[in-house]
Amino acid sequence: MKIITVQKLKKHFKVYKRGAGLRATLRSFLSRPEETVKAVDGISFEIEKGELLGFIGPNGAGKTTTLKCLSGLLYPTSGQVKVLGFTPFDRKPEYLKKISLVMGQKNQLWWDLPAIDTFRLNKEIYDIEDSDYERNLAELSQLLEVSHLVSIPVRKLSLGQRMKMELIAALIHRPEVLFLDEPTIGLDVVMQKNMRDFIAQYNRRYQSTILLTSHYMSDVKELCKRVIIIDNGKIIYDGQLDRLGRKYADYKTVTVIFEKPVDGKKFPEMGEVVSFKFPKLVLSVPRKMSKHIAAKILENYPVEDFNIEDPEVEDIVRRVFSEKKV
Amino acid sequence: MNLKKYWLVASNSLQEYFVYRLNFILWRVRVVVSMLITYFLWFAVFSSSKQVFGYSENQMLTYVLLLSFMNSLVLSTQTFRIAEEINMGTLSMYLIRPVNYFSYNLARDLSDKALNVIFSVIEFIILILILKPAIIIQSQPSFIFLFLGATTLGAILYFEIGIILSSIAFWSYETWAPRFIFFILVSFLAGNYFPLDILPGPLFHALSYLPFSYLIFFPLKLYLGEASGGFIIQGFTVVALWIVGLYFFINYLWAKGLRAYTSEGQ
Repeated sequence: MKIITVQKLKKHFKVYKRGAGLRATLRSFLSRPEETVKAVDGISFEIEKGELLGFIGPNGAGKTTTLKCLSGLLYPTSGQVKVLGFTPFDRKPEYLKKISLVMGQKNQLWWDLPAIDTFRLNKEIYDIEDSDYERNLAELSQLLEVSHLVSIPVRKLSLGQRMKMELIAALIHRPEVLFLDEPTIGLDVVMQKNMRDFIAQYNRRYQSTILLTSHYMSDVKELCKRVIIIDNGKIIYDGQLDRLGRKYADYKTVTVIFEKPVDGKKFPEMGEVVSFKFPKLVLSVPRKMSKHIAAKILENYPVEDFNIEDPEVEDIVRRVFSEKKV
Repeated sequence: MNLKKYWLVASNSLQEYFVYRLNFILWRVRVVVSMLITYFLWFAVFSSSKQVFGYSENQMLTYVLLLSFMNSLVLSTQTFRIAEEINMGTLSMYLIRPVNYFSYNLARDLSDKALNVIFSVIEFIILILILKPAIIIQSQPSFIFLFLGATTLGAILYFEIGIILSSIAFWSYETWAPRFIFFILVSFLAGNYFPLDILPGPLFHALSYLPFSYLIFFPLKLYLGEASGGFIIQGFTVVALWIVGLYFFINYLWAKGLRAYTSEGQ
């Protein structure tokens, strides 16, 4: 079942340009040249129920704008968006009760009050039955291990704890569709891992559809089967994450640890030297040639350890963006 | 409709105030001091004559002492936060939830007003005990009733104006300048320093078609009971027209504004 369909969605913003310096500032009083920024420029995709999909792209690619259009915050310049059969921008209460948007840098928690006060308010806002509320709250705060913190004023919590509270506030009504914008931003490695585990569990347990943006590739790598890569407002890849390598990366990464110092002159002939610092050599070689080159290295050099692998997703994505081959 | 959510908004806002107790108390001090200045000014004026601009000393001092109460009831508001929420993009957090943002703001405002009214009543009692002015206590229920009605309408009107002033944020970051000018206009034209009918006839007449006088002057005039039937009917008609007109204007403004909304800040 298609939960989300997006057709030729465009969102353009008008921004005012202003040169640097006082003179330009003064001139901007009189006339301000307008410029149109094509944040999202004609994208189409569909999402099935229960999918956990990752949106990847550099800063300013249009990821967040897309999420905001899907959640009804922004009015699309053109194109069609349907989520759960609703047009998001209408913001019908029946729609809003089924979705949630979590933005890493924006919060709905009442800063000066304990998180529980926000939860209680959301209980009323979303018309949650007492028993459901109690159960959801217990479950969520247990999953996120913050049961003991709900009565402490939000301002006194750490960033990670606050982020967890945000998640609880956003999930207390058990949304069918969840938009997560940079859910792990600013968190430490351990906390990032916790958050990821939680998202995966939530997806599995409730069969909810989750759209996630992140520029931490590890988020996407661990959570999403399918990714959409977006750059300059356009989709440049939409498909399985593990196919990405086959499509874009016709090379493998060879890592060698040498026993003794060796002469590095010949390595550039074999492939692209990613790094060479004794005792470690990282070489990027064409996929077809990898076996041949491996044999050559093992034959001619004192090798202590040797490894051939598919390139890291980070690497592929970096290549996709730097080469822009579509 | 589930009213409990708005009750919770009000109660949460109220709790927030207690985090910033000193802020709040200093704000009250400001209100009282400003009122006392006006009070002693008029007190001095009446030391040389019994009647000034058609007001007796009792009437004038009652008017001035009630100002603080009216300010708490009508002019205390949180609507300026709307502008901040639009510009910072936090408005998104309300739009994303099934909650009426205006009702949300109304609830926030009501808690603000409730707290301010409680304080102003206490201050009022203390000031009467200290200053012992000969204030007028309106004994006719009809005037009390009209006074409360006009005050409610004034509060609604000010709430609407507050929303409109904040809506500028959809199109510009500079929302404080218009608001500041508006504050100045209100303090002079609403009757915050003197009853407006001491102004020259034509000016007063012109003011009676603008919204300002209905915030403070009109309700207080009704409390004093110095109002003819024509004045009362005209007043209620004008304020009602403003409220209805601004209501439609706000709907129009927000329909446009939300389309222009960029949910910035991230």
